[in-house]
Amino acid sequence: MKRVFVFLSIALWLHAGLQAQPYSGPRGFDSVHRNEISGFLSGGHNTVTGFFVGEAVHFIHHLNDRWSVGGGEQILFFKQLFSLDAKGIYRLPLGKSDLFFIAHALLNGYNLWNASEIILNASALWESKFVDIRLGLSYIHYWMKQSSYTEPPTLTVGFGVNLKPRTSPWNMGLFIRTYDTYYYENWNINWGLRFYVLLQETLRLFGEFNVRPAGNMSQLANRYETSAKIGVKHVW
Amino acid sequence: MRHQSILLYFAIAFFFSCEKVSPIGILVAGTNVEDRVKMSEQFYLDHYKERIWLESDGDYTFIVGSDSHMTTDPGRLDEMLSIGLSSDDLFYAHLGDIVDTKVEYYVRLDSLLQEGKRKYVAAKDLKGEYDDIVFPFFPIVGNHDITRNGWALWSNIFHSSFYEIDVIVRDGERKYYDHLIFLDTASGTLGETQIRLLKEGFLNGKYYYGQGYRYTFVFSHTNIFRPEFNEFASTFCREENFFLLSQFAEWNVTCVFCGHTHHGDERDFNGVHYLTIETMSERSHKNEGDYLVRVRIPASANQDVTYEKVRMKYVPAPASRVSP
Repeated sequence: MKRVFVFLSIALWLHAGLQAQPYSGPRGFDSVHRNEISGFLSGGHNTVTGFFVGEAVHFIHHLNDRWSVGGGEQILFFKQLFSLDAKGIYRLPLGKSDLFFIAHALLNGYNLWNASEIILNASALWESKFVDIRLGLSYIHYWMKQSSYTEPPTLTVGFGVNLKPRTSPWNMGLFIRTYDTYYYENWNINWGLRFYVLLQETLRLFGEFNVRPAGNMSQLANRYETSAKIGVKHVW
Repeated sequence: MRHQSILLYFAIAFFFSCEKVSPIGILVAGTNVEDRVKMSEQFYLDHYKERIWLESDGDYTFIVGSDSHMTTDPGRLDEMLSIGLSSDDLFYAHLGDIVDTKVEYYVRLDSLLQEGKRKYVAAKDLKGEYDDIVFPFFPIVGNHDITRNGWALWSNIFHSSFYEIDVIVRDGERKYYDHLIFLDTASGTLGETQIRLLKEGFLNGKYYYGQGYRYTFVFSHTNIFRPEFNEFASTFCREENFFLLSQFAEWNVTCVFCGHTHHGDERDFNGVHYLTIETMSERSHKNEGDYLVRVRIPASANQDVTYEKVRMKYVPAPASRVSP
């Protein structure tokens, strides 16, 4: 694992010499490529379920330079988790930064415990040259057998910082947040490292290393889950 | 380039350095749940033959309190002991964060419990070797109990962070067996070892009496359900939450008692009753109030278990609030 990480870091270093590519940012629209499809493999270790591995595929269609819609799916084996999601995004340019308003709907099926969950999230993401901040609220409802429960509105908080400007052909950064691609939680903070690198004009490699501790600020004593994602995104 | 190198080194150190993950070291526990569970499991196995069980002739009650966060003022905790003694409760359960993790507070706590035991022995007129008499005060460990090496102090007094106790109930000629399960959830997770032990049936009652348990009560510091929107005390992560809800239903639990959030909540889920108990801390609640819960268990199997709030009258000197 250590060797892979160091090798990847060196590869990113070498790639720094490439020229900037004509589209930028993980969610930006370049007025040329209207569609994005991304797929990633993920794997890791969870305290309850042990080792898990899986895949996810996402599609985003840019209706214009302001509005985008998308959806995707995720399957995690061993964790026996199946997820579907749909999202709508509105982009408000603010000088050199962007403010995204995101509506996100999730359906998760945890087959191990016959539990299902619906999450509706509304949040605002401010993305600047080096820093991004996300704030929002989630409605979380789950059910098992004959019982169900709706959590009180759940705060969404995320913060990320990048090493390079967001228009760079490669980047890496750190993040800390209360959510991941397929869950939103109450003040259970996960954090880690993310990176991307443009392989071609329309193809980028991206990935994340994510540590999900148990508990909140006064309980951060144990890793609950450690995972990695690696995938590619193609635009056309 | 220099900045890139610094970030890279930081990132490598961040991911591969140690088990304990926190941006602010002062809040990190001295031990993690795996350490505590392994120590507790060994202690439990070593002392299994001396394992205690309680007995009741007829109906019985027990009293539950949470998050006392005792510092220099032992008023509320002392009152809890007095209430239990005067009401003849069979035992006390404390849901964690018993003191605010300083050596002097643990010394005070130990003295308080010794005094409580002395009064208990006198009131019950118990005979026999004093050290062999069990003072029925059963706590679980909370997140404030494990910071700043609190576990070393906590375990010195209470030894094991997770354990089970049986209650033998006599109703005339009939006998029933009730089950008490105390979990270590102080770190916001049971941890791999405790989950494995639960799956293997470690707390399923090796003192199994052939007719099964009548009522099972579970005690956990970290809460399953969140009482309020502005609640920054975390609950379990999603998979563990579902695991626990499923496990409690499988154990046919009567009631799960939780603390940690400092706010009360009550609900039923899959046939299990969940009671989140409000803090009894003097610094959070300066006025008297209903900070304890008494559980009334009938000897007869035809009657229901009932829960009632118990008023605490101790009023402390003004001081600052504590966080969950």
